[in-house]
Amino acid sequence: MLESDETQPRQETLDQYHVIDGDCHYMESFHDVAEYMDEPWKTKFEGSNFDEKGAKQNLSSFFPFSTGDRQAHGKITREHSSYPDAPESPERIRDGMESIGVDETLLISHLILAGAGTIADDDRESAFSKAYVEYMLEEVLDPDDGIYGLAPIPYGDLDASLEILDRIEGEEAYAGACFVTAGATPPLGNRKYDPLYERCEDLGLPAVFHTGGAGLDEYVRAGYQEMIETHTLGFLESNMSQIVSLVCQGVPEKFPDLDIVFMESGITYIPGLIARLDEEYLKRPEEAPLLEKKPGEYITDIYYGTQPLEISADTAYLKQCFEIVGADSLLYASDYPHWDYDRPTTVAELPFLSTDEKKQILSGNAREVFDL
Amino acid sequence: MSATGLIEVKPDAAFDDGERELVSVDGVEVGVFSIDGEYYAIRNRCLHDCGPVATGAVGRKLVGEFLEPGKRVEKGYAEDEPIISCPWHGWSYELESGEQLADEDLVLPTYDVVVEDGIVYIDG
Repeated sequence: MLESDETQPRQETLDQYHVIDGDCHYMESFHDVAEYMDEPWKTKFEGSNFDEKGAKQNLSSFFPFSTGDRQAHGKITREHSSYPDAPESPERIRDGMESIGVDETLLISHLILAGAGTIADDDRESAFSKAYVEYMLEEVLDPDDGIYGLAPIPYGDLDASLEILDRIEGEEAYAGACFVTAGATPPLGNRKYDPLYERCEDLGLPAVFHTGGAGLDEYVRAGYQEMIETHTLGFLESNMSQIVSLVCQGVPEKFPDLDIVFMESGITYIPGLIARLDEEYLKRPEEAPLLEKKPGEYITDIYYGTQPLEISADTAYLKQCFEIVGADSLLYASDYPHWDYDRPTTVAELPFLSTDEKKQILSGNAREVFDL
Repeated sequence: MSATGLIEVKPDAAFDDGERELVSVDGVEVGVFSIDGEYYAIRNRCLHDCGPVATGAVGRKLVGEFLEPGKRVEKGYAEDEPIISCPWHGWSYELESGEQLADEDLVLPTYDVVVEDGIVYIDG
């Protein structure tokens, strides 16, 4: 009997590469994070019946949640993760990494991805993010073992966000700041966020923009019926909205030493966005007066996580997308253990990349961006 | 009467500030502009879709300056950089250099303008 594919990374391929995963998710539970919360949130969380349910689908009782069942009604399971319905334990992180062939990893909060759509107040996101930073630092992250974290930035609350950036200054365990793009209003190029980018630049921390698939039908358009619709569109809408905002408002010109990373929308949307925005810019450059070059040239200066890589696309087209974006702008990302995660083999086995390019994408670029 | 290599436009005294004339130069149409005491000449054929760019609105280049984080970008018009915009789709060019504002690699042909004996000429 064949073992599950999850236990059989193509070892002969993976042995050739050191792999850094730019986007892995730790299944923290509300229960664990609540221990680190200030009042009144600690009491609220503890009394809110989340208990050990962690990331269970019914978390929508706290954070809004988009259409659909991520596990596709029982089709998808994880052998080396508690995903989706139980909290994770730190000891199991290595199991998950080894099961897919990852050597070092950057963990992003699982729960905050849904929280960004919470625009009713900016308080609970701040409370969650601050506690998450402490919890992960104390109990989960282990830079000596290649397990780093990205600190969630509750950008709706600038003071709280700056407190978090102050808190992680000099902490080796935190390799970047994470902005959840879903639902960001106003979009993240707005000048109100400048102090956050300025601080990240000062600290040498990359600003990592990670969307969430949840919420498209909460804050953009209601009425979608299936997750294939909201999940496909939600990621693209979130990333494209924020890339356009950052670039047109001149964030890369304002903060030239800030590394910007966008995760989790594959890569084929990037050439299309470049073409669309450059075409527009030729007609209305006066609306983006800080730009010193075409917007597409800023877009290719950004780093992108590869997942979910469109390996089923026409090979010539995918190759051209890689060439347009550039191997020096791509970071392997798994999104493990989420339902549509990518193993490093998705990059390592691409027929059109050189070995050097694969090394760049699988670890070299991440080492540089995250200063690992 | 035209001097050698020069294409007559009209008398300098007949050019009001802000006025333009369209003339033919070697079979192509060229717009000649008098703006704040300076003459400019560009080809009347937009690089985008061949629109009549020289008939479009003349304006000034909008520039922005980032003063400090969190503050509005200060926006204003550059006084000495007249531009022209094609009326079809808005592609805009510096009148002096012919460079498209969004992409300096796109350059609309420009022409030297000279005034001799009170007559404005394009140096074709």
